[in-house]
Amino acid sequence: MSTEAAPAGAAVEPTPPKNFMRPCLLLLLREQPTHGYDLLERLKSFGFEPADPGRLYRSLRALERDGLVRSTWERSASGPDRRIYQLTRAGMEELHLRARALAGTRRLMEAFLGRYEEFVALADDGATGSVGAPR
Amino acid sequence: MSELETLRVRDEVLQAMYWMRAEGIDDAPTEEALARFLAVGAETLRLYLERFCADGYLEPATPGYRLTPVGEEAGKRTFAEEFAGLTGAAHGECDADCWCHSSPEDAAQCLEDRVGHVH
Repeated sequence: MSTEAAPAGAAVEPTPPKNFMRPCLLLLLREQPTHGYDLLERLKSFGFEPADPGRLYRSLRALERDGLVRSTWERSASGPDRRIYQLTRAGMEELHLRARALAGTRRLMEAFLGRYEEFVALADDGATGSVGAPR
Repeated sequence: MSELETLRVRDEVLQAMYWMRAEGIDDAPTEEALARFLAVGAETLRLYLERFCADGYLEPATPGYRLTPVGEEAGKRTFAEEFAGLTGAAHGECDADCWCHSSPEDAAQCLEDRVGHVH
């Protein structure tokens, strides 16, 4: 028996695409340079909950190592100085490439859902309505 | 544990702990929390943390470990050094007409145009 099958009647959480954090971070940094904690909060809007600071930290380091992001110190009067992250030009190019790839993925998903919804209605939250009932 | 490997791990641990503290995430992580954060084995990390305590970079906290002033200075300094000179111009440092302010098509065109000369 497949281990990937959800139990009958169980809710299946939305799954972000593989390595989705990377384009999300590039986009968030395109919107504005910022520090780690702010990124952690804003990643929640893309489904990264609960927050995983370690994953964010490792992702930012990988992006910086790849030259897509760079960081500088922000002086703090009340605590230790923080790293402020900003997008590099190479990071912007990578963001455009990733966005195009995601647009391709969206077309595939829309094709799937369009055919699925020919026989099952999906509610706005993704829950199935009358499964098996004709639309 | 070789001295070279110890130095590499020390930099990695001190930088991570500095970052966690500066971001207000945790200023005295346990070895389990630190191992999760760095995606390494807790058992392996424990030996290094004990060594860094002995060397004066960390001190035991309840529970976990905290950076000493020496560890904090080293974490901050090596963090900056690790990526120094690695990246080029950042977004916002280009001129007002830079492609990064417009569409993906402009970006693709700009990329072509920039081959062989500075944007």
